[in-house]
Amino acid sequence: MGKIAVLTNDLQADVVHKTPERTAAMAEAQPRFSAFLDEMRRRGHGIYHLQLVNLPDDPNVERDLDGTLPLQRGSQGAAILADFLADGDETVEKNKDSGFYETELHDRLQAAGVDTVLVTGLQTQICVQTTAADAFFRGYNVWVPSDCVVSGNPADRDRSLEWLAGYCATVADSKEIFDVLDAEGELPRKVVKILP
Amino acid sequence: MTSQATDLGVVELDHGSGAQLSHELISLIVETLGDVYIGEMEDSAMLPISSGQIAMTTDSFVVDPPFFGNGDIGKIAVCGTVNDLAVVGARPLYLTLGMILETGLPIARLVQVLTSIRETAREAGVKIVCGDTKVVRKGEADQIYLNTAGVGVFERTPMRMRDVRPGDRVILSGPIGNHTVHLLSIREGLGFEQRVLSDCAPLNGMLDELLATVGEGRVHSVRDVTRGGLAAVLHEYAASSGHTIRIEREALPIQFETAMATDMLGVNAIHAANEGCVCLFVAPQAEQEVLAALRAHRYGTGAVVIGEVTEAAEPLVLMRGADGRDAVVDELQGAELPRLC
Repeated sequence: MGKIAVLTNDLQADVVHKTPERTAAMAEAQPRFSAFLDEMRRRGHGIYHLQLVNLPDDPNVERDLDGTLPLQRGSQGAAILADFLADGDETVEKNKDSGFYETELHDRLQAAGVDTVLVTGLQTQICVQTTAADAFFRGYNVWVPSDCVVSGNPADRDRSLEWLAGYCATVADSKEIFDVLDAEGELPRKVVKILP
Repeated sequence: MTSQATDLGVVELDHGSGAQLSHELISLIVETLGDVYIGEMEDSAMLPISSGQIAMTTDSFVVDPPFFGNGDIGKIAVCGTVNDLAVVGARPLYLTLGMILETGLPIARLVQVLTSIRETAREAGVKIVCGDTKVVRKGEADQIYLNTAGVGVFERTPMRMRDVRPGDRVILSGPIGNHTVHLLSIREGLGFEQRVLSDCAPLNGMLDELLATVGEGRVHSVRDVTRGGLAAVLHEYAASSGHTIRIEREALPIQFETAMATDMLGVNAIHAANEGCVCLFVAPQAEQEVLAALRAHRYGTGAVVIGEVTEAAEPLVLMRGADGRDAVVDELQGAELPRLC
C-alpha cells in the first residue's frame, strides 16, 4: 500500500489576498483547513506545499495593474503563509497552474512512495483542478477535501468540485476522509474508465 | 544542428539587411531545407506545371507557443497550406516560405523549425520553391512568424462546397479539439499536454488514397477543420447549401482527456481549432467505403460518421443529444482562442 500525501496549492499572500473575495473565503476556510493539515501530520502523512513562483520571462504571467510581477522568487508575497506551515512540511516550486508541470513534485512523491494525493488550496477551479487532473494522469489516486479548497467565487468552487468528482477525483469533506481512513486504513481509488 | 547554426548564435537585425549576414543566414536555410528546396535564387521561381487548372492558397502562422510537444510552427506552416490544397482535390506541389524573425531568436531554434519544414514537406511530397526572410526588433514579433503559399494541380475533378447535397453523410477523419487543448495546456501548464497531443499532420496522402479508392463523385466536398472548429465548417456548408446539417453529439470523436480539458476551460470542442482533421461530405451509398479507406490510413484511424445534410431548406446546424432532442449549434461570435495556428 502506497503512502498518502497532501498537496496544497498557492497558500501565499500574493494569491490569497489578490482580491477581497479570496481573502474572505480563505479566512472562513483557514481554521478547518489548518486543522485538517495538523491531523494529517499527526497521522504521519506528508504535506507538500506547491509554491507558485512567476518567472519574469513567462509571457503568460498576469502582472499587477502597475506592471509589477507578483509572486517573485524569494519575495514575501510568494512565501507560504505561516498558518499552514509546520516543521517537516515540504515545499515544491512551480511556475504554472499544475503542480506537476516541469517541477520536481512527481519525482519527490515517487521517491517517498506516495500513490494517493489529497489536493487542496486555491483557487479550486485553476490550480487545484489542474494539479488534480495532472496527478490523475500520472496514475495517482486523487482525493479532494471539499472543505479545504477555496475560490473567490463560490460558484467557481462548486462547479470545479463537480468537474473533479465527474472526471478524476473522489470529493469528500475532511471529516468524511478521516472517517474512511479510520474505517479502512486507506483511501480507496475511484474507478474511472478512460475511453480510447 | 549544424556547426554553422551554433556559430551564428542568435538572429540579429543584420540578418535581414541583405548584406553578408543575410547571405549567411540564407545559406543556412537552404542547407537545412536540403532537397525539398528547389529555388534558384532568382527573383521568381520558374516552375513546370502539368495541369490546365491549379489551386492556390496562402496562410500565415503565428502559433503560441511556436514549439510544442509534438510539433512546431514549421510543421503547422506546411500542413496548413498542404491541407488547404488537398481538400479541394488538388495535388500539392509547391510552397513558398516567408519568415519574420524576432531579433534574439536562437539560430538553433530556427534550424529546428526548418528541419520540421523539411521533414513535413518530404512527407507531403511538396517542394519549397522560393522564400523571404525579414528580421524585426525585439518585441516587434514573438520569436518567429511564418507564411506559406501553395500551388497544387488538379488531376481529378475539383471538390467544391456547392457540390454538397441533402442526404450527404458528414464524416470526420479523426478526433477534434486535441490541437487546441495541447497548446492551451502548454501555455498555462494545465497538465493535459502529455496526454493530449496536437493532431497536426499533412493529410494530402490520406485524401489522395481515399479519392483513388472510392472513385470520382462519391466524396462531394472536404474541408479541413481549423480555426473556428467543426461548428464553423458546418455553418459554412449550411449557408452554402441552404440546408440544415444535423450532427449527433454522441458520435463526436472527442478524446476523454480532451473532454475533461474543454469542460474545465469552458471551451466547446466543436469550436476548437485542429490541424490534422478534415470534415467530408459523402454520398450516402459511399459511406462505408469512405470510412474504410480513411481508417486504413494512419491519420484517419478515428474516422466516424457524425451526421448528415438534411432535406430541410433552412441553413441551420443542429446537434442531436442522447435524449433525441435537437439543439441549434451557434457559430462562434468573436470568442475564438487566439494564436492556435
